[in-house]
Amino acid sequence: MNESSPEHALRMHPFTADLNDEQLSELARLARVAVYEPNEYLLREGDPATAFYLIVSGLVSIEVFVPGHGARPLQTVEGGSAVGWSWILAPSRWEFDARALERTTALVLDGERLRQLFVRDCCLGLRLVQRLLFIVAERLKAARLQLLDLYGPPRELP
Amino acid sequence: MTAPGPVLRSLVDPFHPHPYRVVARRRETSDTVTLRLCPATDPYLPGSPGQFMMLTAFGIGEVPISLSRVPDRSGMLEHTIRAVGSVTRHLVALRPGDWVGVRGPFGTGWPLDLARGRDVLLVAGGLGFAPLRSALEAILERRQDYRRVTVLLGARTPSDVLYRQILPRWQRRNDVDLRVTVDRPDERWRGQVGVVPQLVSQVAPSFEPTETVAFICGPDVMMRFTVRELQRHGVSDDRIFLSLERNMQCGVGLCGHCQLGPFFLCKDGPVLPYSRLMPFYEVREL
Repeated sequence: MNESSPEHALRMHPFTADLNDEQLSELARLARVAVYEPNEYLLREGDPATAFYLIVSGLVSIEVFVPGHGARPLQTVEGGSAVGWSWILAPSRWEFDARALERTTALVLDGERLRQLFVRDCCLGLRLVQRLLFIVAERLKAARLQLLDLYGPPRELP
Repeated sequence: MTAPGPVLRSLVDPFHPHPYRVVARRRETSDTVTLRLCPATDPYLPGSPGQFMMLTAFGIGEVPISLSRVPDRSGMLEHTIRAVGSVTRHLVALRPGDWVGVRGPFGTGWPLDLARGRDVLLVAGGLGFAPLRSALEAILERRQDYRRVTVLLGARTPSDVLYRQILPRWQRRNDVDLRVTVDRPDERWRGQVGVVPQLVSQVAPSFEPTETVAFICGPDVMMRFTVRELQRHGVSDDRIFLSLERNMQCGVGLCGHCQLGPFFLCKDGPVLPYSRLMPFYEVREL
C-alpha cells in the first residue's frame, strides 16, 4: 500500500484507524489526500459543504471574517482531528472558514458519497457519527471555556 | 556554639521577614513583572520548585508569591507578580534599589523525585506558568533523569504569555515538546488557538499514561478540565499534581485562612496530588 494513499492515511488516522479492512477500503474509495499550503483555504463560509476533512498533519485555523477586522481565528485544529460537519446537516453550507496556518495534509472525503455510505451501512454510519459528535462536543466544550475568559483580569483582591 | 544566623532565625521564627533589595525588574505582560531580589544580609533562604514566599510591601501588606526560580548560590530570589490588589500593585511598581520583606519558603514543592524516570507533563494557564517554570528549569538541569518532557501553556492573548524572552530557548530544544495556545489571538499570531486542556489530547499519543507524572497550575476551572483530560487518557489521580492558590497568610498552618477540607494549603500544599484533593476540590463553596 502506498504511504500517500488514502487507505494508508485512513489506517493511520485516529478517527478511522480501528475500522476493519473492508470499511477502510470503502472509505478510501471516496477519499483523496490533499495538501494545503500556508494561508490556503480548505473551505470557506457560505460555500456548499461537500466534504469532510480528516487532518493528517499541519495546523488549521477555524475562523470568521469580520468586516473591518479581517479574519478572526476562533480555534485551531491539529493533525489527528477533523474539520467540517456541515456536509451532514442541511442546508450543507459551511458556517466558518478553515485556513491552513502551516503546510497541512488532509484526507478529503466526499460528503455526498459518505452520506450514501452511512445509509447503506448504518452500523458504520453510527460509529463514525458518534466519533464526529465527540469532536463536536470537544469543540463546544473548548468554546465554552474560551467564553469564560479564564485568564482575564482577576477579581480585585485586598 | 555559633550564634544562630539569619537562616536559622527565619526557620525558627517563620514570621520574621528578611529584608531583600530589588536588583532587577523585568516586565512580562501589561500587569505582570518579574522581580529579582537580593538578600540584604547574608541569609540563604532555601526553596524548591513549587514552594512560595510571603513578600511584604512595607507599610502595605503581605502576599504569598511562588518561586519562579529556585534561589541561586547567592540567595537571589525571583518572583513573578501580577498586579491584582493593593499589595501586589505596590510590589509590581517597585524598582531596582527598593526594599521588600521576605519570609519562607513555605509549603510543598513539585514531586520531582517521583517524576524521575517517567514522562513529565507540565500544564500551565496564565500566571500558573510562574511556579512551573522553576520545575521546568530543575528538570532541564537534569534532563537525562526524565523521559519525555512536555510543556503545555495557555494564555489569554499572545502578549499575556509569560517569559516570552526565554520561551524560544526552550522551544528550540529537541528534548522538550513545548506548545502554546491562546484564547484570543492577534493578527500576528500563527500558533494554536483554544484552551489549554485541549492540548492534552494532542500530546497524549506521545506519553505513556501509566508512566506519566503531571504538574498543573492555573485557574481552578482550567485545572479541573485538564485533570479530566488526563484521567480520560489514563493518567492516575495520584500522579496528577495541582498547585492551588488560596488565601495564604501565616504560612505555617496556624491561621486557617487557606483551609480546604482537612488541608492547610500553606503547609500541606500548595502542591498536592489530585488523589488527595479529589473529595474536596470540586465541592462548591469549599
